[in-house]
Amino acid sequence: MATFSRRGFMKITGAGVAAMSLGQLGFDLKPAYAYAKALKIEGAKEVISTCAFCSCGCEIIMHVKDGKIISSEGNPDYPISEGALCPKGAAYYSMHVSDHRVLKPRYRAPGSAKWEEKDWDWMLDRIARKIKDTRDKDFMLKNDKGQDVNRWESYFQLGTSQMDNEECALTHQMCRALGGLHIDHQARV
Amino acid sequence: MAKSIFIDTTRCTACRGCQVACKQWHDHEAVPTKQTGTHQNPPDLTPNNFKLVRFSEHKIEGRVHWLFFPEQCRHCLQPACKAASDSYVEGAIVVDEATGIVVCTEKTKELTAEQAQEVIDACPYNVPRLNEKTGELAKCDMCIDRVQAGLIPMCVKTCCTGTMNFGERADMLKLAEERLAKVQKEFPKAELLDAGDLAVIYLVSQPREMYHQYAQRELRPLNRADFLAGLTRPLRNILG
Amino acid sequence: MTQHWIDIKNANAILIMGSNAAEHHPISFKWVLKAKDAGAKVIHVDPKFSRTSARSDFHVPLRSGTDIAFMGGMVKYILEKDLIQKEYVVEYTNASFIVGDDYKFEDGLFSGYDPEKKKYDQKKWAFAKDENGVSKRDKTLQDPRCVYQLLKKHYERYNLDTVSSITGVSKENLLKVYEIYTATGKPDKAGTMMYALGWTQHSVGVQNIRLAAMVQLLLGNIGVAGGGVNALRGEPNVQGSTDHALLWHILPGYHGVPTTAWPTLDDYLKANTPATKDPKSVNWWQHRPKYMVSLLKGWFGDKATPENGFGYGLLPKAEPGVDYASMFMFDRMYAGKMKGGMIFGHNPCVSMPNTHKIRAAMQKLDWLVVGEVHDTETSSFWRDPSVDPKKIPTEVFLLPSCQRGEKDGTTSNSGRWHQWHHKGYEPAGQSKSMGWMVTEIMKRVRGLYEKDKGVFPEGILSHDWPKEYNADEMAMRINGQFTKDVTIKDKTYKKGDQVPGFALLQADGSTTSLNWLYCGCYPEAGKNLAKRRDLTQTPMQAKLGLFPNYTWAWPMNRRIIYNRASVDPQGKPFNPELPVILWEDGKWIGDIPDGPAPPMAMEKGTYPFIMHTEGHGQIFGPGRVDGPFPEHYEPAETPVAKNPFSSQMNNPCMKVAKSDKDLLAKPADPKYPIVLTTYSLTEHWCGGGDTRNTPYLLEAEPQLYVEMSHELAAEKGIKNGDPVVVESIRGKVEAIAMVTVRIVPFQVEGKTVHLIGMPFCFGWTTPGCGDATNRLTPSVGDPNTTIPEYKACLVNIRKADKVTELAI
Repeated sequence: MATFSRRGFMKITGAGVAAMSLGQLGFDLKPAYAYAKALKIEGAKEVISTCAFCSCGCEIIMHVKDGKIISSEGNPDYPISEGALCPKGAAYYSMHVSDHRVLKPRYRAPGSAKWEEKDWDWMLDRIARKIKDTRDKDFMLKNDKGQDVNRWESYFQLGTSQMDNEECALTHQMCRALGGLHIDHQARV
Repeated sequence: MAKSIFIDTTRCTACRGCQVACKQWHDHEAVPTKQTGTHQNPPDLTPNNFKLVRFSEHKIEGRVHWLFFPEQCRHCLQPACKAASDSYVEGAIVVDEATGIVVCTEKTKELTAEQAQEVIDACPYNVPRLNEKTGELAKCDMCIDRVQAGLIPMCVKTCCTGTMNFGERADMLKLAEERLAKVQKEFPKAELLDAGDLAVIYLVSQPREMYHQYAQRELRPLNRADFLAGLTRPLRNILG
Repeated sequence: MTQHWIDIKNANAILIMGSNAAEHHPISFKWVLKAKDAGAKVIHVDPKFSRTSARSDFHVPLRSGTDIAFMGGMVKYILEKDLIQKEYVVEYTNASFIVGDDYKFEDGLFSGYDPEKKKYDQKKWAFAKDENGVSKRDKTLQDPRCVYQLLKKHYERYNLDTVSSITGVSKENLLKVYEIYTATGKPDKAGTMMYALGWTQHSVGVQNIRLAAMVQLLLGNIGVAGGGVNALRGEPNVQGSTDHALLWHILPGYHGVPTTAWPTLDDYLKANTPATKDPKSVNWWQHRPKYMVSLLKGWFGDKATPENGFGYGLLPKAEPGVDYASMFMFDRMYAGKMKGGMIFGHNPCVSMPNTHKIRAAMQKLDWLVVGEVHDTETSSFWRDPSVDPKKIPTEVFLLPSCQRGEKDGTTSNSGRWHQWHHKGYEPAGQSKSMGWMVTEIMKRVRGLYEKDKGVFPEGILSHDWPKEYNADEMAMRINGQFTKDVTIKDKTYKKGDQVPGFALLQADGSTTSLNWLYCGCYPEAGKNLAKRRDLTQTPMQAKLGLFPNYTWAWPMNRRIIYNRASVDPQGKPFNPELPVILWEDGKWIGDIPDGPAPPMAMEKGTYPFIMHTEGHGQIFGPGRVDGPFPEHYEPAETPVAKNPFSSQMNNPCMKVAKSDKDLLAKPADPKYPIVLTTYSLTEHWCGGGDTRNTPYLLEAEPQLYVEMSHELAAEKGIKNGDPVVVESIRGKVEAIAMVTVRIVPFQVEGKTVHLIGMPFCFGWTTPGCGDATNRLTPSVGDPNTTIPEYKACLVNIRKADKVTELAI
């Protein structure tokens, strides 16, 4: 886990022009006021992530407190963005905490009009069973010319450019291991 | 030291990173919106939108001018809103002495609806909004929490193109003048908007009324609010 | 990108065409504006005036689908005025190569066309070889069969009148762009081209980009600082997901998919490993056997042996000539031939063309697994408002995916920077990374095959499958490891050591690597270069903005590829002010060069374009299936009745799906006279699943709109903000009218052609926002890539009496 200095800190530069007050101009004014407001990210851990959208690869600092993300902003050290973000990148934190997210596995039975929540074990076992049954039924060892083909044509995989490289490598490997040829993703749209 | 934001609209791509970043930093609620034939959404500032990129399009002599104006509170050096509210509830709107940032405090709750409206009307740029839920007046606070901690405001941090700049007022005025001189080579009518009176300095390349109604100071028939708003005028003359 | 984002600042001219960079890659404009500050001219050529146009020096409206005519006119301009960078063109490109006698071009068709198969015999376009098997050349460029002369002849027809008439661009605007951009043909000037889906999503997509590359070669703009052909890749890790081949036609690292034409590894390697007899050609793909065997060894571990072809026989073999791309995959699904599958982070029920067909196809599946952050139009296809769930037999599994901040791993940006991102906290709820899902599903499938056997279990069980998903372990596997103690050039590597770089990968099974391009990123245990955040650089590198110590770029941390073309044959930089590499004291400094060989003119020097067998940039490109020179063809649906360049209306090799739902309007169809172009928008991403479910973004762009000119709106009695219906021969879509000065009618072949534009990110699961624009677009694709033609089809538009898809 890396933490980084905030280079986004403003530089305190030379003396600015003292603003003239109305008081100096002869108006009666209320006294000056020192306003204080706490910084919500004070004491939070800074963790480097990357934006999940276009391929500028903008780096994002997550502010994490008590195991929860509490804020995010651009990483000023990233030479390409220098801390800037577009609206999608700027919405990184709210995207992570959006209450629209699906947080439990969901299952839809044949003919059903609704989702049911299931546990992971049930889901994974059932998926594995579906894969094996369909593959065993449809797997093609040879084509009509008698050549070895070892392929499963009725199976497909789509996606995704949202995956990390490490995930992509395994996802491709899974497809070929199952005998899949129909594999595609957003690079072709 | 007094802080300023310099907004060079000639660099703005209207990406709205600032608009969204501002909402997120302030934990603002999303506002329900509709498509009405423009990208500008929400249509106006709201208690949950301290920053709004305004869009306006024109075609002049065959050339398209699509103008973007990242709107926010100008943090007037002599804020009429504060003058208006002070006469009812002292400390409802304050000017932070260290930074010059104009802040609507919780005490704005104590203003009656009429008084709050009077404060809003006093603003020559039509910026403050009444939050019906909390009863408070709401507007840009220049991320005073960040500024006090040595960080730059979120909109400036997020800006992709150098449209938004933050720093000591003198430095921002200098930067603004330099950019103005450069921009005027292509757009002779370019100008800084009321720079002498405001902590948020806009550079525009086209006549200000082409951006939106309140790009320029709005003057209304003389009433108490206008009198207070008018207080800032002699100041500009003095600062020259 | 051949370059990287920061390098845009080094350009003297920037042509943004087929891209709306300010809206879709907002950060890119940081660097575009820096170039502009330094005096660069920024030109935007695009059907509509966008936020990109607003910040460019000028905008040129172009009818969608006519980029080749526009750029072909530029080639003619360059050649007529002799604006090429002569030394670069003669020495580094194939302009001087002699083309064999079989090559011909007549009335829109190249030689070797088979109208029944809609395919060319590409052998007809081969170069003439000398007695040693090396391509013949004429460096005077005078031989009538040399590429330069054939190019001149090909683009003779692309005169200003014809180009202006078909593109709808005024002659004045054409000349303005040509003049400004071609000024970068001077050796010390550079022009960059920024493109995106506006070039790829056409039935001539690949040839659009080919032509851009050709112009860049003629002007000497590739390999130099501020130059290049720069694909602004549209999605977070689409560079990496392409490198790692989430694509049917390749294996990770750009190796063609095995087919029945190559039953054994030997057959495969023989057919796919090019050879050259030219000693100056690096011919990089000669190394393919090392990369391919290391990949197989990485997959099959101890089960991969030289005797069994390292497990090659276990891999599925494609049928030559069959296209397994998603467009045809859905075609087969619609025909009932697909049973089940997995969709991760992809929303085809919104983002694929002819979405009516996609949605109907999904209903024929037995089962579907979806890994997603949100419930999308795809995971919930069975409850689409237009269907009766009772009639849909599909079992659907929706697996909740975690967000980026909840996992470790790397993504590759458009400039090929390989960036590690750190997990900040535990995934929300029961969500999991997709890597975990894939690992766990396969573990259970393997368990079933171990227990019950079944059909071809060895295909599955022979894989060295990880025990659990661990991004760091996978990163090490991708880089690759030694499988036994090996001594190479006096250095001994132990079994299990990381391979320090792809030059050390072996074809004998002594190394693994799941992707040779990434070999070198994790050169030893504990040293993952993707985690570097070091800003140090030499003054020479700093001038370029190279940041070589910040993360890592493939290949071998090279930041500008083909950089050997930035120096002349003696090794002197074409632009001494901004050298990318410098030959000093017998070695290169600056960027990592494309190989350590000395400058080309020296004894052991090499050609700069190392990935091509001949070592030269391809102005003549015999490798593309639809011709060695780009030629203007109209989109599959066109508003014109005749192609003025030839009697060939459309790309003769274009891919077309042919179900009962795949209808196409005829040329100049009076029922559908308006050109529709589609696009993304700044606040939403792709099919919109992630961004419509992020309330701040939906607030800024809440509903589907259609941009149109005031002229069209007046003709149709439509006012700004009115709800309208847009119809194509395939379907209709409701949208809100955005009437704007930013879109103008085009004058094309003597008539007025209107164009409208719509984003495609909206879908019915977000109430009242509208539904898929892609219900209008056709299942037609580029013949090289099968990327669909989203950018140009025919529609009509009318004011809506009532709306059901939009809340108004």
